[in-house]
Order: sequence, then structure tokens, then C-alpha cells
Amino acid sequence: METIHLQQTLPEVFAGRDAITSDVWHQDLTLKKGEFYLIEAASGTGKSSLCSYLYGYRQDYQGIINFDGRNIRSLSINEWVKLRKQSLGILFQELRIFPELTAYENVQLKNRLTGFKKKKEILAFFERLGIADKTNEKAAKLSFGQQQRVAFIRTLCQPSDFLFLDEPISHIDDENGSIMGRLLTEEALQQGAGVIITSIGKHINLNYNCVLKL
Amino acid sequence: MNRLVWKLLRQHISIGQLSGFFLANFFGMFIVLLSVQFYKDIVPVFTEGDSFMKKDYIITTKKISTLGSITGQSNIFSEEEIKDLKAQPFTRSIAAFTPSLFKISAGVGMQEAGIHLSTEMFFESVPDSYIDAKLDKWNFKKEMHIVPIIIPRNYLNLYNFGFAQSRNLPKLSEGLIGLMQMDIIIQGDDGNTAQYKGNIVGFSNRLNTILVPQSFMNWANKTFAPDKEPQASRLIVEVKNPTDTAIIDYFRQKGYNTEGNNLDAGKTTYFLRLIISIVAGVGLFISVLSFYILMLSIYLLLQKNTVKLENLLLIGYSPAKVALPYQILTAGLNLLILLLAIGGVAWTRSYYTDMLQMLLPQLEAGSFIPCTITGVILFLAVSLLNIMLIRKKVQSIWRNKEH
Repeated sequence: METIHLQQTLPEVFAGRDAITSDVWHQDLTLKKGEFYLIEAASGTGKSSLCSYLYGYRQDYQGIINFDGRNIRSLSINEWVKLRKQSLGILFQELRIFPELTAYENVQLKNRLTGFKKKKEILAFFERLGIADKTNEKAAKLSFGQQQRVAFIRTLCQPSDFLFLDEPISHIDDENGSIMGRLLTEEALQQGAGVIITSIGKHINLNYNCVLKL
Repeated sequence: MNRLVWKLLRQHISIGQLSGFFLANFFGMFIVLLSVQFYKDIVPVFTEGDSFMKKDYIITTKKISTLGSITGQSNIFSEEEIKDLKAQPFTRSIAAFTPSLFKISAGVGMQEAGIHLSTEMFFESVPDSYIDAKLDKWNFKKEMHIVPIIIPRNYLNLYNFGFAQSRNLPKLSEGLIGLMQMDIIIQGDDGNTAQYKGNIVGFSNRLNTILVPQSFMNWANKTFAPDKEPQASRLIVEVKNPTDTAIIDYFRQKGYNTEGNNLDAGKTTYFLRLIISIVAGVGLFISVLSFYILMLSIYLLLQKNTVKLENLLLIGYSPAKVALPYQILTAGLNLLILLLAIGGVAWTRSYYTDMLQMLLPQLEAGSFIPCTITGVILFLAVSLLNIMLIRKKVQSIWRNKEH
């Protein structure tokens, strides 16, 4: 997948508003593979909505979103499943970690599906993000910040054309934040993936090609 | 199946609900299978070896009264009478017995012993489809000069248990009788005679006469009594439902006699069928209820695990993959129930087959296939329905997120 094209897209809940000043909503915007985007937003401007539209689990928007010229409303269940396995990586704001599984099992759950990373590579991620001692800990026992890092590792365990990260470092200290930034850059460059990061303030320092105000 | 997925999805499985389903469905299945098997095993006791789907036949004649004999009243069925009987709503099909119109004498002899017994005789024939004996040797070939014959089983019993018993003569089995040959001499109206060998190829419970193939009879009547036309004095009627009171009323009103206890046996099997249908119906009902319990339990499980299912779908698992553990769970349970129910039927059956063997020694051991087939059909139907419903439910979870 090369491009994501938003044409006059707007969440339905905003439809009643008169003036919308945004670089994303009600614009003609093309996101390209291989480029880094930062979407800055105040709370309640539809940041998570954007991610959910692009990841295909909500459709309450107006306008058109195209993947490589194809309207994503017409994608079938199987096509979405394939996209989520092979093209689109996401780090949810609410993480969607399974508390009853260990940190490593949470990552394995995804990696089993894609077979993308070796166990050694995954453990190296844990090591670099400073949670190596939590590998076999139940996710329920981890702090939100630690869970955020586990979810981040899970996001990297698949081939991606685009990586969405919804407030990835909201609960992470600056040092780990910059480690995450490095890991993300390495992975994205290696795969030539596009990166779309949302933030309401604190954000990972990367070489963004474009900063958009939502 | 992914171990981690199962680890997640098995949470909230209610052992209580599943064992409730398990027991209910087991009993339901067991009752259904046992009634099918029991019916299959017990029916031959009433029909005495007739086919599984016993057809019901009535053999009828006109009454022979003393007055009728003196006045020379005919006991022949006319064309109209046959047509009328055929038109009755209870009749499925009808055929006439064809009598032989020529003289026959049959003899059994042992040349070595110098014994030769011979007697005057008669033959009758009915179309082959009405005969309740094996028909593999039932064909007449003119050039072979052999006529296959079927005699009533009663005759053999009469000899074995009446005559032979009282005279200390050897008893004859059906197989041994089949080895003996009779000399049959036919004499036509014009004095022509012909000699044939007669072979007894079978025994009939239903037809109380000495039967030869219809093809032989047609040919012989034409050859040896060309001037006469065979007339029907006995009819065989295949009826739809032997308990139909209209049959009795009709025969009484017309003054016809019926032969044998076919009507009674027919009634017995009919009621047996009715009772077993009711029992099997109850079993099916229990099965349906238990199926309902299972579906409720699985739905509840899916409901409780909705968030997990959603998350699995979001990290890239397909609805099919997510539904699979539950589908395997239900199909596995159903399979276990099927095997247990079949085992249970086999075990129960071992108790009553001994009794049946004592009642009816000549009964062949019935097969276990009907019970198995019924079980497999039930299993497939229930499992497929389960699998389909689970898939639909998971897909609805996917859609709930999408709107």
C-alpha cells in the first residue's frame, strides 16, 4: 500500500459545526508511505477517531478515505484482516493489551499471526525498552507505561506500510521515549513504512516530514 | 488452533452449563438412537423376517357357504369386482392368483429304495413382486425342464412337528428340502403330457398355496389348456394402512373372507411404529432443548468475552480464527456425545437381543447401521448449526465495532 488519501473527511459528530479549521478534516490530504507525520491535536478533536477510521473499525465519518485509490468502505472483512496482518500496524491509545497473558505472550499473540519477528529480536526489544525483567510478568501487573511499551513492541511485530501510533508516549519518560523513537525510525526505514503519530503535547522526536494540526 | 487464543477464550466457560447441555443432549441422543435401533431389531419379530419396511398384504376369497355349494354359486371374482376393489382408497395394488388349468401329478422317489410316492396336485401363481421369499432361483427356463416351487412354511412345520414327530421320521430342514427334486407330470386337455423336475426354492409365510413362477404358469396354461381362460378365485391386495377400519367394513359388506393374521401383524407393527415415533419424538425434543442450552451457554460466553474477541479481531485475527476454538469445543462435545450414545445403545441392546433370540431363533442378528447413521446425521446437523451460529455471532461482534 502506497498512499492513504483523505478527501473531505470529517467525523459525523462534527458535521454540525460551522467553521472547521484543521489540516486534516475537510481537506484533501495524501499520506505517503515512507514519510513521517505528526498530528498534533487538542483533546476531543477526533484524533483517536482518525486512527479508528484508518484502521477500519469505525465508519462514522463523512467524505472518502482511499487506500491506493480504493474507497475503504468497500473493503471486505477478509481484506481488512489481511491489511491488519500485512500493511497496517497500530498502537492503540487504550493499548488493548490482554491483562491475563504475560507481557511476552501478548507480543507472541501477534507474532504467531505474522511470524514476523524471531524470539531473540522480541527479547531484544524488551531489553532496549528496559522491561526485560517483566517479560514473563502478567500484563495486569505492569504499570500503564510498561504496558504501553509492550503494546509498542507488539506493533512492531508485523510487516507494515503504515504505522499508526496513538499517543505512544503519554505515560513514558523522556529517555524511554527517545529509545522508542529510535526503534521506530529503524523499523520504519527498514520497511519503508510511513509513520503517523498523534499527540496532545508530549511527542516522540523524529524527523517529521510534516506536522499537521487536527 | 493457537494456544494463546484458547487461553484467552476459554475464560468464563461455565462447566455447569456445559455439563447440563452434555447430559441433556446425551439422553436425547440416546433415546432417539435406542428407539431407532429397537424398532429395527423388534420389527422382524412381528413380520417374521419380512423386509424392514414391511408391506401389508391381505389375501381374500369369496365365502363358501353350504347353500352356495349346493346351488353352484360361483366363487370367482369378476372383472368389475376386481376393478372396484382396486379403486378403494385403502388399496395400493392388487393381483389375482392364477390357477393351473391342467392336471398335475407330483412324485417324490428314491430309486435305490424302490419307493415312489406320487399325488395329484395343483399350482397357483402370483406376480413376483408379491412373493415374500428369496427370488434368486425364481425363474423358469423352458429348455431346462425345471420348475421352481415355493410352498407355505406351514407345510414344512406340519410335517416336521406333526407327522415326523409322531412317526419317528427324520426332520427336514429348509436347506435339505431345497436339495430334493420332485417329478412333475403335466397332462393337458388333449392328452399331451410333459415331464418336469420340481425344485422347492423357498417358503412363504404369506402365501398359503403351492406357487410356481407367473411366467411358467402363463406358458403352461396356454400350452396345455389353450381353450380355457384362467379365472381369479383368490386376490392378493396390498393395503396402505392395515388399521384402516374401512378395509374391514368393505370386506364384510362384500362378503369376502380374509386369510391369515396379516392384518393383526400389520396392526401390531403400526402401533409399534406409532409408540416408537412418540418415544423418538420425545428424545428429539430433549435434543432440541439441550441444543438450545448449548447455544445460550455459548452466546453468554461470547458475550462475556466480547472485549477479548474485539481485541483479537483488532490485532489482526480473522473472525474465522476467533470462532474456531468455540466451534471445536461444541463439535467436540457433540462428537463425544455421539460416541457415548452409540456405546450406550450397544450396551442396552446386548440385554434385549438375547431375549429376542429366544423368542425367534431364526431371526438374523440385525445390523447396527441404522442407529449409527441416525446418530451421524443428528451429529452433523447439530454441529453444522452450532458452527454456523457461532460464526454469525463473531461476525456480528466485528460489525458492532464498525458502525
